[in-house]
Amino acid sequence: MVNPVLLIAVPLGLAFAIPLFALFWKAAAKYVPPVAFAFNLVISLLLLPKVLENPVIVSIGGWQPPFCINLVAGPVGVLFSIIIALVGLLVSIYALDYIKEGAAEKYHMLYLLLLTGATGVVLTGDIFNLFVFFEILCISSYALVAYTANKAGFESAIKYLIQGAVGSSLLLIGVGLLYGLFGTLNMADIAQNIKSVSPISVFVPMVLLITGLGVEAAIFPLNAWLPDAHSSAPSSISAVLSGIAIEVGLYAVVRVVFTIFGASSILLFLALLGILTLLVGEMCAFSQNNIKRMLAYSSIGQIGLILFALAIATSYGVTGGLFQLVSHALSKALLFLAAGYMIYRAGSMEISALEGMGKKMPLTCLAFTIGAFSLVGLPPFIGFPSKFLVVRAALATKETFLFVLIGLALLGTVIEAAYFFRVVQVLYFKGEKPNPERKEAPITALVPMFIFVVLIVIVGIYPKLVTDVLNSAASELLNRLDYIRSVLG
Amino acid sequence: MGFLNSYIYYIGAFGLILVGLYIILVKHNLIKVIIGLGILDTGVNLFLISVGYITKGTAPIFSRPGIDSERMVDPVPQALVLTAIVIGVAVLALALSLAIRLYQHYGTLNLRKIREQKW
Repeated sequence: MVNPVLLIAVPLGLAFAIPLFALFWKAAAKYVPPVAFAFNLVISLLLLPKVLENPVIVSIGGWQPPFCINLVAGPVGVLFSIIIALVGLLVSIYALDYIKEGAAEKYHMLYLLLLTGATGVVLTGDIFNLFVFFEILCISSYALVAYTANKAGFESAIKYLIQGAVGSSLLLIGVGLLYGLFGTLNMADIAQNIKSVSPISVFVPMVLLITGLGVEAAIFPLNAWLPDAHSSAPSSISAVLSGIAIEVGLYAVVRVVFTIFGASSILLFLALLGILTLLVGEMCAFSQNNIKRMLAYSSIGQIGLILFALAIATSYGVTGGLFQLVSHALSKALLFLAAGYMIYRAGSMEISALEGMGKKMPLTCLAFTIGAFSLVGLPPFIGFPSKFLVVRAALATKETFLFVLIGLALLGTVIEAAYFFRVVQVLYFKGEKPNPERKEAPITALVPMFIFVVLIVIVGIYPKLVTDVLNSAASELLNRLDYIRSVLG
Repeated sequence: MGFLNSYIYYIGAFGLILVGLYIILVKHNLIKVIIGLGILDTGVNLFLISVGYITKGTAPIFSRPGIDSERMVDPVPQALVLTAIVIGVAVLALALSLAIRLYQHYGTLNLRKIREQKW
C-alpha cells in the first residue's frame, strides 16, 4: 500500500538534504526538486483510484484519532496534491535554466519547502498541523519573493511578511479558541462536536480562522500584498505563488467553512466577497501597464470567481469551483512561465516593450496566447468548460441574488478578455521591424510550457477526464458527516 | 476580584494582542512594526498557555508518586506554544534581515517613504 505520509516526508527530507548535496556538487541542487515532484506525482496518481473509493486515513505515532495527528487523503487532498506535484514538477524543470543569479541552492531548497508546506496543508486532518504547514508555506514564500534582491523585491517581501504574520497570528488565536471550546485539535472531532456549543461562541473562532486564512487566499479586503509579491518574485516563483499558494489558502478557507463549521449561513456573504474580489481584481488588472502586475491582479479576479463558485455550495457549484481552480492553476502557471522569458528577452516588464515578440519568440508567444484564451474562457481550452460549469451552477440555484452576482462575474470576464486581448494584440500586431532575429526560450522552458498547453487543450476538449475526480472531491467537501465518519470510524 | 483572578491571563493575553496590533497599524518605523509583531506573538502564546493552565497546577508527569491527576495542567497547549514560539522566531528573524536589506537599498526605515510599489 502507498502511504500518503511519503508525499510530505520525501520532499521535506530532500529539501533539507539540498545544502549537503551542494557541498559536494554545486549543480546538484537544481535537480533535486524535479526528482521530488516526479516522485510525488507518481505516488499521488497511484493513490487516486484507491482514494476515490475510500479516503485513506493515516494516524501518526500509533494512536487512534482523535488523539493523534492524522493525515486524511480524501479525493480533495489527492486532487490538490496531484496539481501541486504537477505544477511543481513543470516549474522546477523551467527553473533549471531560468535561475542563474543569486544563491541557487537556497532557491531550490525554499521552493521545495514551499510546495511541501502546500502538500501538507491539503493532506492534514489536524487544525494545528494545518497552521504549521501553512507557516512553512508562508515563510518560504516571504523569502522567495525577496530572491531577486532588488528594491521592489525587499519592499514587497516585507509587506507580505507583515500582513502574513498578522494573518497567522489571527489563525492561531482561532485555533486556541477552538481548543479551549472542544479540547481537541482533530478537524473531524471538532466538526462532530460543533453543534454542542452555542453558535455565538463558535462564531468568533470561525471569523478569526477565515480572516487568518483569507490573507493567504487573497480574498478581497485582505489582498493588498498580492500584486506586489507576485510581480516582484522571479517568474518561476510567481507561477507557483499564483498557481498553487493562493489556491491552497482558498482550500483551507473552504475546508474550515464546509467541514469544520458546516456554516451554511455565511455562504451568501462569501459569494458576495468572491464577486467583489473578482471585480476589484479585474478592474485593477485592466489599468496596468506592467505585465506581471496585470497577471497578478488577474489572479485576484480568478480567486474571486473560484470563491464564488465554491460558495454556491451545490454539487454543481463546488465541482465548477474546483474545476475553475484546476484551470486557473494550469493557465496562470503557463502565463507566468511564458511571460518570464518574454520579459527576460525584452528587458522590461512594460507591456509596450513586448511589441513584435510574436515574431521574435513565436512558440513562447503562442503558449502565452493559449494561456490567456484559456483564462478568458474560450473553447477549446480548459477555461471554457470550467467557467461554463460555474455559470450553469449559479443559474441552477434559481436564487435572484446569485443571478445578479453571476451577471457581475460575466462582466468581470468581459473586462478580463479586454486586457488579455490587448496584450495578445501587442505581441502579434504591433511593432515596426519586419524580420527581427528569432531568439526562442531555451528547451528547458519550452518543454514545460508545451506540456501545460497539451494539458489545457486535452482537458478542454475532454472534460470527462477530470470530472469524476472533481465530483467525488465536491461530495467530500459537501458531506461533512461522511468525512467525520471516515476519520473517527 | 473573583472575576479578575480567574480571567487575568486572558485579559493580559488579549491586552498584548491589541497592543501589538495597534503598533503594527499605527507606527511608521519598520523596526517598531517588527517589535509589534513580536508583542502580538507573545500575546497569542500567553493566550494558548492560559487555555490549558490550572492555578497552582503541576507538570503532567506520572513518574513521581503522590501527584494528583486533577491538578495536572494540559500538556497539549504547551506543545503548541513551543511550536508557535519557534515559528515566531523564524518570522521575526526573517523580518529583521529584510529590514537590514531594505535599509541598505532605501537609506530609511520609515514605511511612509518606502512606497515604490503602488496599486
